[in-house]
Amino acid sequence: MNRDQWLATCVIFLGGLGTWLLLPHKHGKIKARLTQGCGAALSILALLLLSAFYTSPGPFLPNVFFWVFATSAVGSGILTITSRNPVYSALWFASVVLSTSGLFLLAGASFLAAGTIIVYAGAIIVTFLFVIMLAQSEGQALYDRMARAPGAATLSGFALLWAVFYALLMVRSPGGDFKPVVPRLTSASEFVKPTLPGNFKNSGPVLPGSGPAFVLASAIRPTALLADDRAPAPKKSVPHVAALGATLFTDHLIAVEVAGTLLFIALVGAISMATPRTPIRPVDREAISAGDPAQARALANMTN
Amino acid sequence: MNGWDLLGIVVKIGIVVGITQGAVAYLILVERKIAAWSQDRIGPNRAGPFGLLQPLADGAKMLLKEDVIPTYVTKPLYILAPIIAIIAAMIAFAVIPFGPVGNTGVRLGNGDIQFQIAPGVDIGIVYVFAVGSLGVYAVILAGWSSNNKYSFLGGLRSSAQLISYEVPLGMSILGMVLITGSLDLNAIINWQDRHFWGIVVQPFGFLLFLISAFAETNRLPFDLPESEQELVGGFHTEYSAMKFGMFFLGEYLHIITVSYLTVVLFLGGWDFPFVTDQSQTGWFWAMFKIAVMLAKVSGMIVFIMWIRWTLPRFRYDTLMDLAWKRLIPISIANLVVTATVCQFLFSYSRSN
Repeated sequence: MNRDQWLATCVIFLGGLGTWLLLPHKHGKIKARLTQGCGAALSILALLLLSAFYTSPGPFLPNVFFWVFATSAVGSGILTITSRNPVYSALWFASVVLSTSGLFLLAGASFLAAGTIIVYAGAIIVTFLFVIMLAQSEGQALYDRMARAPGAATLSGFALLWAVFYALLMVRSPGGDFKPVVPRLTSASEFVKPTLPGNFKNSGPVLPGSGPAFVLASAIRPTALLADDRAPAPKKSVPHVAALGATLFTDHLIAVEVAGTLLFIALVGAISMATPRTPIRPVDREAISAGDPAQARALANMTN
Repeated sequence: MNGWDLLGIVVKIGIVVGITQGAVAYLILVERKIAAWSQDRIGPNRAGPFGLLQPLADGAKMLLKEDVIPTYVTKPLYILAPIIAIIAAMIAFAVIPFGPVGNTGVRLGNGDIQFQIAPGVDIGIVYVFAVGSLGVYAVILAGWSSNNKYSFLGGLRSSAQLISYEVPLGMSILGMVLITGSLDLNAIINWQDRHFWGIVVQPFGFLLFLISAFAETNRLPFDLPESEQELVGGFHTEYSAMKFGMFFLGEYLHIITVSYLTVVLFLGGWDFPFVTDQSQTGWFWAMFKIAVMLAKVSGMIVFIMWIRWTLPRFRYDTLMDLAWKRLIPISIANLVVTATVCQFLFSYSRSN
């Protein structure tokens, strides 16, 4: 581990500890001021240490937008989990989704951004709101104030965060430059190239090599490769939605089909659960107890 | 992007915002006039000739009335709701073309003027749906924050209705997208200019789109969120003065957006059959195409207002039946048939 990775580990540890101290009590008891103060101090210290990873800003306008979207995403995320009123929680969640879509847009993934807004902000959170408003909780119940397994949640969450940091720092040079990753991946693609169809559009028969080349060829699909500076630039006229579709339905076809099947099964399940059973009226119940076998059988058929 | 491009975009935004807001004022007059004619009345005729100054009077009234905020409302959300209503309706105009885009030949400085705020967005139509789906927050939040049972019922009805009708709305345009092969609104217009109007190749798609669009704009056959007979004023019962006006503004902006979308997707955009062509450039043709498009959009708006006085309101269960049991199956069938035909036509044209 290099210096940056040690620093990241420190940040994660302090942040995790702070968050654990800040989380509500397991049984909804009130935590001491001192504990909460310590938690807040540790979390803030972790955030300050994080600024050691600050890299020099890029062009002015995208940079401004990035910071606006990123700050609002993180801030709204915190407010989502700390709001006492579930309606506000849902609204902050919507704000998280919108900010994230802004980040997607900045990264050039406009279809993903629009899709996220349609699916999450436009449908799912609206359904949440619908249910929350129907429930209309009055006042604060005990179970609203307690955290379920705060230790395990903090541990697993920050372990995942640490894994992300570690992976990022593996490919980042100490100066804050992410360039070194490209030669490494392009060299892998060079290694694989003889075995790959040059372009998935005019793909002829795939000629599998032997040994590691074959494994790499199967693992690294052409559309999953990072942009190669030396390769000819893709034609400008291909809109990226078409490229996205081509990727989804060539390289990731099985994943798409599996996801579709899962959703379909979930849909069928939801409908089969939601279908109301025929209620047994008092009159019918009397008919059953009176021993009318034909009607009882008919009712049993209806209710099953 | 240099400073001049940025300035150009700002000017375009200013023009579009100004014109649409001004248009909304007169749309309210048009609506009232059409309502009056349908009911065999005269309509507003006191302010100016034919009541043409009525919008100014209405606007002044909205601005000068006392803005009452009841004490029992959830204040932040109560104020936020009308703002969302306007913003969600307004930002859809970013990708809607109001004239020819591309090589227009209308030069000012060093580039062609594009008659669209953000030209070349290749997810155009998806973007419109994305920001359109945010409009539901205005109604839900207004209903909930008002802390009033009528408002609340209006908000609940609206959230269920808007979510349900988004499905057929999205599916109805997929046929058009398959045929034209693009999500970019300009590419869709250009295809219709070269071949046929969308209404010819996708008649079912057009019908489904129109019905769902009515539901999405909360217009009359589907105006359950504010049905006056049952819910007083629905979600905006507690709103007064300009906050109420902002809901109105949002609704009429939505009507303009929907009319533009219908024209772009199904009525050929700026295309005037046998006259216009993509190759025609220059000031005259640009203005001609903008005028053609405006005429079509005005026609759509009048049609939408006319429908209001033609059809009675749905009952809530029939509303849901229509969406889930009628429109969605029809739109799926339409999509499958279109995809099949497209596939055969394309493979046929490729084999030759």
